[in-house]
Amino acid sequence: MNVAAFWKKVIRNRALLFMVIPGTVWFLIFAYLPMFGSILAFKDFRISRDGFFASVFNSKWVGFKNFEYLFTTSDAYVITRNTILYNLALIFLGLVISVGLAIILSELVNKRMAKVYQTGMFLPHFLSWVIISYFAFTFLSMDKGTLNQIITFFGGERISWYSEPKYWPFIIVFVGIWKSVGYNSVIYLAAITGIDKSYYEAAVIDGATKWKQIRYITVPLLKPLMIILTILAIGGIFRSDFGLFYQLPKDAGALYPVTNVIDTFVYRGLINMGDIGMSTAAGLYQSLVGLVLILVANAIVRKIEKDHAIF
Amino acid sequence: MKKKSFFMALALILALSAILAGCGGNKKSSEPAKEEAAVQSDGTIDVSKLDPVTLKLYLIGPSQKDLPKVQEEINKYVGEKINAKLEITMIDWGDYSQRMQVITSSGEDYDIAFTSSWAFDYLPNAAKGAFMPLNDLIDQYGKGIKEVLDPRFLEGTKVNGVNYGIPANKELAQQFVWRFNKKYLDKYNLDISNVTTLEDLEPLLKTIKENEPADITPLAVPKNFKPYLPFDFVLGDEIPIGMYIDTKDNKYVNILESPELKAALQTMRKYYKAGYVREDVATLEGIDNMKTGKWLVDREITQPYAELGWSRSAGYDIVTKPMHDPIIYTSSAAGSMLAISSYSKNPERAMMFLNLLNTDAYLRNLIQYGIEDVHYKKVEDPYIEDLPAMNENYAMPGFALGNMFLTYLHEGEPKDKWDAFEKFNSSAIVAPTFGFNFDTAPVKTEVAAVTNVAKEFIPALYTGSVDPDEYLPKALQKFKDAGIDKVIAEAQKQFDAWKAEQK
Amino acid sequence: MISNSAQLDVKKQRDFNEITPGWNVLFNILIGLFSFSCVFPFLFVIIISLTDEQTLALEGFSLWPSKFSTEAYSYIFQTGHELLVSFGVTLLVTIMGTLITLILVTTYAYAVSRKSFEFRGFFSFLAFFTMLFSGGMVPGYIVMTQFLHLQNTIWSLIFPLSLSAFSIIVMRTFFQTTVPDEIIESAKIDGAGELKTFIRIVLPVSLPGIATIGLFACLAYWNDWFNALLYYNKPELTPPLQFLLMKIEKNMDFLIKNAQNLGTFNAAAGLPTETVRMAMVVLATLPIVLAYPFFQRYFVQGLTVGSVKG
Repeated sequence: MNVAAFWKKVIRNRALLFMVIPGTVWFLIFAYLPMFGSILAFKDFRISRDGFFASVFNSKWVGFKNFEYLFTTSDAYVITRNTILYNLALIFLGLVISVGLAIILSELVNKRMAKVYQTGMFLPHFLSWVIISYFAFTFLSMDKGTLNQIITFFGGERISWYSEPKYWPFIIVFVGIWKSVGYNSVIYLAAITGIDKSYYEAAVIDGATKWKQIRYITVPLLKPLMIILTILAIGGIFRSDFGLFYQLPKDAGALYPVTNVIDTFVYRGLINMGDIGMSTAAGLYQSLVGLVLILVANAIVRKIEKDHAIF
Repeated sequence: MKKKSFFMALALILALSAILAGCGGNKKSSEPAKEEAAVQSDGTIDVSKLDPVTLKLYLIGPSQKDLPKVQEEINKYVGEKINAKLEITMIDWGDYSQRMQVITSSGEDYDIAFTSSWAFDYLPNAAKGAFMPLNDLIDQYGKGIKEVLDPRFLEGTKVNGVNYGIPANKELAQQFVWRFNKKYLDKYNLDISNVTTLEDLEPLLKTIKENEPADITPLAVPKNFKPYLPFDFVLGDEIPIGMYIDTKDNKYVNILESPELKAALQTMRKYYKAGYVREDVATLEGIDNMKTGKWLVDREITQPYAELGWSRSAGYDIVTKPMHDPIIYTSSAAGSMLAISSYSKNPERAMMFLNLLNTDAYLRNLIQYGIEDVHYKKVEDPYIEDLPAMNENYAMPGFALGNMFLTYLHEGEPKDKWDAFEKFNSSAIVAPTFGFNFDTAPVKTEVAAVTNVAKEFIPALYTGSVDPDEYLPKALQKFKDAGIDKVIAEAQKQFDAWKAEQK
Repeated sequence: MISNSAQLDVKKQRDFNEITPGWNVLFNILIGLFSFSCVFPFLFVIIISLTDEQTLALEGFSLWPSKFSTEAYSYIFQTGHELLVSFGVTLLVTIMGTLITLILVTTYAYAVSRKSFEFRGFFSFLAFFTMLFSGGMVPGYIVMTQFLHLQNTIWSLIFPLSLSAFSIIVMRTFFQTTVPDEIIESAKIDGAGELKTFIRIVLPVSLPGIATIGLFACLAYWNDWFNALLYYNKPELTPPLQFLLMKIEKNMDFLIKNAQNLGTFNAAAGLPTETVRMAMVVLATLPIVLAYPFFQRYFVQGLTVGSVKG
């Protein structure tokens, strides 16, 4: 690219460039500058007396040794499978339910009630996983739990919830969606609010039913947002909400086959060693997979509907 | 073209960070000449020869309102003695390890920090280079420490022959006891004089289970319960690798394969089925039996006169029965230490301060109990009485602040408390691997995997929540898949090398 | 009053496009039940906070304890000064932070939403890339403490959260879908510059999107405790509310796991009781829940009165 043309381009776009300056500065300082820390993933970090940078540069390169524990153990398959499957379930069920909720909320006749419901749905977002796990425990506790009381009332056999892996995929997906859906539906609700009302008026005049209006106006107009949020969520498919998999099942060993995900595995394995190289390696691995998946998803979307791709 | 400009930007950023990196590492070697000259031939310190310095300390525990006040008082005294000032930062229990990890990795220049085998872990951080080697500093500026401290403390906390921290003088040995709720012992006239092992508990547990309502837990233990096993563990009692305490061949073994463990697991399974432990014990993080009083027996680590303290805080009588003789492990010697950061600009002065803290009763009590007549009242030497201000604004964890034998006693405590500690320490057996510190770095992949397996199986097995006949072989297999044999072999290799050096 | 009559007017007008009463009842029941399931744990927390401490220890959590007590709240309000200051810190950080976030996000997102912006792809990617990669805690800590020297200032709680690529991408989508290019083009023809168009024309019609981003930022700041853990540590500084709460949770956890390492030192004595903790959860959550309707009017009320803000 020749320099003069480049400057011309800059000048042509000066107003918009001016608007991205504050954000760009922030990204450089708080996001890109710290990224050099990623090289720790390839080092055996040892502290030397002259500060962090000296430590980084003096530490030995160890290639991919810090990554090994993520792949070579007998748990590697289980944690990868769990992480991906749970995330897929949470992403797609979450998408359908939060869009559905947003649409229903927008259609309720009594707007005051809609507001009340919506505020209610927001509350789980504020409770920490520790508290939600207390709450779940009042349902699932072996001796005093509500569920077991109901079961025994109907003459059933009590279930030891925290040692029966088969129930947990449902519990985890249910609670995961329950906690996040109120929060996620806000975006869609806001998008519905932003839809130009004249579309609906025209549709009504044409005699479109409510169902048709939703199907041909609301959903298509929400589509860009749905696609983008889903692509972004796919980028995070190797990360998980730690508390959902650690706090909620009360770290019960018997449940590991269905609750152990990459994040909990890394946490448990490193908590005593505190190895910064290995934890950085885990993060980098999650990021790289995320980047690849996003690029793929984005490329697919770009093929189908160019306008909706992120870049 | 877009791609190209992106990479240009990336290169720019990298260059920028490299430049910034350059200014980050400011070299500054300290100048010990003055400190050297200040130590006089009789060991006292000539303050006039010292420049004023400020020492930055990180200690564990909740932040205290009156700390600035007490710190001012401390600084007056420490200023007179070694011309130094302290700047103490308290970091709360749950945050300490994580925050110190960030602080040390980032290269912040503090001087002294609390470290131990259980918070801001001593061993991995010493191995990583977070702390300054202290051997020479102790010889030069910490002579007092060597005089007051049981030499085995310093012996046990060496990493490859180097000391990286000053252990607090307290109980050196570890001893597990059964704690009993005396109320129920009296009620059923139960005799504990013959109780030592897990099996011995059975008749007692049975009595309680049969005669008391269901909400009384006979054996009140949470998920981290472990039956006593005669092993010297190499990576903590959660990971089943150890050497027999009375080992003949100095070999590390897989504890899951030992007959002792099998027997203990069968017993626990029996107890679990009989309902002697809580049904949900495998997921029970903690148990508030002390608060409710609805229990017969639990398991705890003791120290001399511990029952008095336990009874006092519970509000009812508690008696104990040891499970074994006190044993000195490497980890028990590292229960509470103060280390000097490898970034410290004034390590000599820091050591002078540590020396003072471990030998000077006035300073030691000042930092733990605060100011006389503000936070406490002297009664009759060595007794003090807490004033309300202590509980409200200055409740420091005394065991994390150096030599405990210098501290005042509270009423109700026996006068010979610290003598009893010394006796306890000298009566103890020394574990076969005492002084050996395992560097996990060569097998960290396996250790991470083994730790995960341990968290999956150990609580359920050790509490009897699952059938050992079915789960023990399963666990064994999984540990093997995770590479436990490699960890054992590495530990053995390092131990043998260390052992050879000892002779 | 005003919103009431507006609602009535609209109702009359739009009656013909309402869902049928049958569906309406069904939806109300469905959503009502779900919403109740969300409120329920919070009620539960309130009940625990009002339970007598000893009863709680003996009976465990229960929806209808045998003995109630307001002890926890009176305990908190006795030592209330710190809590009040802490509340103030949280409020200040939340308000300042949200404003800064809104400025950064809307300007950046608007620029990359414009098809005429020739660096659009580059800056989109620049933002997006940060969503995936981070250098970890330590490098971030070094930037904050050793380059910027902002530790123990309020900025250390504000800056790390002031911008997120996620918000930018969502906001960009909002701009693209709700602000038609024709509006901007016609403004341009009228001679308005980019900045003027942005402030006068684009922002006012993007209120639902702005409110969403604002709400997310607000919640992120309100719930943040991690930055306080890293950067805000001096006895004379009162940390934000969530940090106090989180600290207690982490301490509990730590002390339970390490009880045997502490010897006879009774560290738990310094911890608030279970009921006090729940009371703190209530006190830390209620204000933000009460502030919620402020944002909500842009999502829900907006539905009834079209694009004219309520």
